[in-house]
Amino acid sequence: MAEQSQSQLQSKSSSTAVIYFAILGIVTTAFGLADILVAAAGSEFSYGILEIPNDLFRGGWGGFIVLFAGLFYLSGARNIGDIHQFAKVAMGSILIWIMAGSDIFAMITESIPGGEDGPWFNTLDGFLATYASPYAPAILLLPFSLVVIYYIYHRD
Amino acid sequence: MTLSLGERWTLIDRISKETVTFGKYEHTLKDAVGELTVKPLTGIPVAIAIMYCFWSVFGSFAGTLMTDGFFVKLFDGYWLPWIQEAFPGQGSWLYAIMVDAGGFESGEFVLSDNCFEAFGALTSGLFVAIGVVLPAIFIFYLMLALLEDVGYMPRLAVLLDTVLHRVGLHGYAIVPTILSLGCNVPGVTATRILETKKQRFIMMTLLAIFIPCGAQIGIMEEVVPNLLGWILLYLIIGYFIFGYILNKIVPGKAPEFLIDVPPYRKPLLNNVSKKVWGRIAGFFKVALPFVMLGCAIVSLLYLLGVIQFIGDLLAPIFVGWFGVPKETAGPLVAAFLRKDLAVAQLSVIEMTEYQLITAVVLVSIYFPCVATFAMMLKEGWKELIAAIGVLTIVVFAYGGMIHLIGILLGVA
Repeated sequence: MAEQSQSQLQSKSSSTAVIYFAILGIVTTAFGLADILVAAAGSEFSYGILEIPNDLFRGGWGGFIVLFAGLFYLSGARNIGDIHQFAKVAMGSILIWIMAGSDIFAMITESIPGGEDGPWFNTLDGFLATYASPYAPAILLLPFSLVVIYYIYHRD
Repeated sequence: MTLSLGERWTLIDRISKETVTFGKYEHTLKDAVGELTVKPLTGIPVAIAIMYCFWSVFGSFAGTLMTDGFFVKLFDGYWLPWIQEAFPGQGSWLYAIMVDAGGFESGEFVLSDNCFEAFGALTSGLFVAIGVVLPAIFIFYLMLALLEDVGYMPRLAVLLDTVLHRVGLHGYAIVPTILSLGCNVPGVTATRILETKKQRFIMMTLLAIFIPCGAQIGIMEEVVPNLLGWILLYLIIGYFIFGYILNKIVPGKAPEFLIDVPPYRKPLLNNVSKKVWGRIAGFFKVALPFVMLGCAIVSLLYLLGVIQFIGDLLAPIFVGWFGVPKETAGPLVAAFLRKDLAVAQLSVIEMTEYQLITAVVLVSIYFPCVATFAMMLKEGWKELIAAIGVLTIVVFAYGGMIHLIGILLGVA
């Protein structure tokens, strides 16, 4: 009886994971495509807290990485109970972490120096202003990608 | 005591029964992720992401934070004005070589206002070495050490094995290639991991021609950041085109390689710091003196009018064959001694974006820096002469080809 209820619980958790990562996959893929299209068009896109960079490095190259992350999520969400399929989902999150980590590191390096004609180090206001919105898609996707950690620790 | 064959096998069976546990091996998540990074379909996107992270962190740390954030201010705002004032004999030859060659405006000697233009060993030389190259190679070697110790490099070698076989190399050729992006000197040394003479020759030639070092990339990131992608793309294409041709014409074997791919591991701080320190110390010992000396010699040759003379002599080739302005002849000749400073000089010459890309690509492929030249000589003079022969042909063929592409696209 206890085994049966545990199995039901696992199956419920698995279907939640499938739905969650499938939705995340669709959103991530859409962001990746948007990144590439905006970079190809060459004009920056900004809406609310979202900003899609138009340069070839962050928008173009980075866009492909976000797109790959979305495809990893979509491919892995099917039969997520299998370790190899789940690894694809984990890899999707790792790609988002790589992108978002690089963007956050770029923000940190921008926030420390005081600028060409300013003091050696940035003022507190200037420092904090660097971290204000809008953000690139990978940074917005970051908190949602962290959910994979829960599933890594709660697999069997 | 002597055991018969049967007794030996019985003993082996008994020991294995007591010591070996048999069971079904279950894949862990780490194993599955490891496999994904080796399979081409999933491994290539991961490699693209890791390279992105590598260059993003490189540019942010070396360019935005260290060079632009602190070193430009330190050298241009404090060091340059101080040494211009403190060093005696303003306007003399020694002053020009060591501190500032300056310039003349309406007949009056004017000092430079930044270290890029001063061209002295104690100004430009020190700024390039400490302010540009040091942060660039520090972050480069740190990232490389992390990738090695995590266990990603062998996977990258497996992933690129098929592609590199097309140019007569194998997967492990990625190690000297990536090392050369920091400094060509350890890159040339690392060619020894390749088995045959043919492979070592191809690798050394490709490194010397198509792989820009950290100093060059650092300066490109500083003065032509928006064109860096195009320049690197041209160099990568050239690497494969001429690698393919060399593989066809150079006699010798290009054997397969066997590699044990280790599991992913957490890098140890001690190992990483030892590797980074060892490589940076190597750079300081071998390459740094060449940076300083190179600056002084370039200044001297400018003062003696040698570079101007050779530049004027070769100008018709630069203009007609490569499609770059006449003024680029001087920096392109000086690039023999200091490629990084030549890039900085090119960036202030008036020309179209395509001409600038062509000129910077030419600086990269034109000749190995003096330190690399010395290392190649150590590996064998016959190979060095052959490499220079290949290089001369490549410069003319590839330089002309880039010009032709520009003409066809209507941008040259």
